[in-house]
Amino acid sequence: MQGLEALAEEDDRIMLVCADSLKAMRADPFLEKFPDRVVELGIAEQNAAGVSAGLALGGLIPYFATYAGFITMRACEQIRTFIAYPNLDVKMVGINGGLAAGEREGVSHQFFEDLAIMRSIPNITVLVPADAGQARQAAKAAAEIPGPVYIRLGSGRDPVIFDDKQPFVPGKIHILEQRGNDLVFFCNGLMIPRVLVASALLEAKGIACTVVEVHTLKPLDTEAIVELLKDCRAAVTAEDHNIIGGLGSAIMECAAEHCPVPVARIGLRDVFPGSGHPEALLDFYGMSVNDIVEAAISTINRKPNPLPNEE
Amino acid sequence: MDERIEKLTLMASQLRRDVVNAVYYAKDGHPGPCMSAADLMAVLYFDLLRLNPEDPSWIDRDRFILSKGHACPLWYAALARRGYFPPVELKTLRVLGSRLQGHPDLKKTPGVDANSGSLGHGLSQACGLAIAARKRGSDSLNVVITGDGELNEGIVWEAAMAIAHLKLTNVIAIVDNNGMQSGGKVEKVSGLYPLREKWEAFGWYVVEEDGHDIGRLLPVLERAFQRGRATREERQGMSLLPDHLRRGRASAGVPHPDQPVVLIAHTLKGKGVPYMEGDNSWHKRVPTDEEHQLALSILGGQDLE
Repeated sequence: MQGLEALAEEDDRIMLVCADSLKAMRADPFLEKFPDRVVELGIAEQNAAGVSAGLALGGLIPYFATYAGFITMRACEQIRTFIAYPNLDVKMVGINGGLAAGEREGVSHQFFEDLAIMRSIPNITVLVPADAGQARQAAKAAAEIPGPVYIRLGSGRDPVIFDDKQPFVPGKIHILEQRGNDLVFFCNGLMIPRVLVASALLEAKGIACTVVEVHTLKPLDTEAIVELLKDCRAAVTAEDHNIIGGLGSAIMECAAEHCPVPVARIGLRDVFPGSGHPEALLDFYGMSVNDIVEAAISTINRKPNPLPNEE
Repeated sequence: MDERIEKLTLMASQLRRDVVNAVYYAKDGHPGPCMSAADLMAVLYFDLLRLNPEDPSWIDRDRFILSKGHACPLWYAALARRGYFPPVELKTLRVLGSRLQGHPDLKKTPGVDANSGSLGHGLSQACGLAIAARKRGSDSLNVVITGDGELNEGIVWEAAMAIAHLKLTNVIAIVDNNGMQSGGKVEKVSGLYPLREKWEAFGWYVVEEDGHDIGRLLPVLERAFQRGRATREERQGMSLLPDHLRRGRASAGVPHPDQPVVLIAHTLKGKGVPYMEGDNSWHKRVPTDEEHQLALSILGGQDLE
């Protein structure tokens, strides 16, 4: 929200559209500062999406912000036909994205399908910042990206991963560490710290990996991803999302088309989870550090022999 | 006034003729729902809406949204006759590569201000447009024709609630109340009625008129347009009814100055082409050669050139 305040300061067209989500978005300071720039529509996300389309048609840049699932599921068709199809400048900010961010609220507030939905709709840029600093940068970047953008956020209680000096460049992968080329991890969101721990544990076992953040699911940085797949020849994806349709699928599609090497997916394994503490939830549903380590080892063992593209 | 009415009556017939031609040549489309709204469209596009076909993206134009997007052959006909593109282009309705999509696409068709086709979305978009107009201090209006069947959609009432709550008097809603939806009579398919009371309960001021009587539609809508552009002070005591219909009652037809206005237009599906009138099979149907010719001879007007 601080990112949006700074933006609104600079650009008079920035509007905040809420569906009784001011409190959830912690947007009270924004409201105080820019009372005329907030459109509160009550608990009515479909209308909020339609109104956002109208605001954009009227030359404004609305940020429609509420829970990820109420944007991407409740208002899915409004987004698809009235925002994405006419390629309008509507920026959508979904909180509680993922299993962990929804934590004790249970399935109704755990949104692990949002990225699959948004990724399958043409024209939408899909960003997954990992912490508050990246979220600020993503909000700013979204204003400069023409057309609709979906920014997927967590609970707002997520740990800080990056210092603000690290640039957030939409459309580009972000290499976090390169210990070696035994395997490449593609990860985003709050799975990043877990993958970094896993990578260190693997190095102790003599397995040297590369860790890459993929914060832009669409457009995917295919070229750079293919380069890494060619170099490492095995990959593991890690995301707080269903293994269907999100980062794991994106990387597998990319691998299957351009560099068919083994890929394993860490994520929610297509089940409805339960309530619980976020860290405990991730551990329970197959996204623990140990799960990541084991996936890496078994994927390396599946490297084809001879390797594909071997000249 | 009489001259204006005569001109608009002729134009409504012309638009109906264009619809029959477009659907006939396309061999696809929804003629019935076009016919019920043709008189309304004539009044809006050929008298009241502030437009500039030379500059379709002029920022201070009035915005019109045909929320019942399946009636787009009528919208395309109005745009063509208003000069946005040549009428002959109506023959390309729904053809691959055409600017005239199966349902309205604002990126493809000059003069189309908002997408529609998936029902119920006109008022939501008008709500956003109205907020934007107010923010830039413009008196441009945001006019929506919705079907009655599409009022089944919950989003319509979300939008109706929001527009009234936000006091967006620069929105004008018109319900093409032809009493039929795809599956049959509105009252059989859903619990839409009582309709007037629903709008009133959502905070709107309701006017009801015969949607085919241009002599009655024009003065009421003209006042609604004047009111929509007026300041709050000017709206105080402003009536939507012409003097002779107020019958000396000062309060007749006077909305609260913060209330948005909806016109419920009582219409007939298929109006103007006798074999289509009241026959819901014309919701989506293509005229045969004979039916085509018969319609043209009844409607008069010019062909697509």
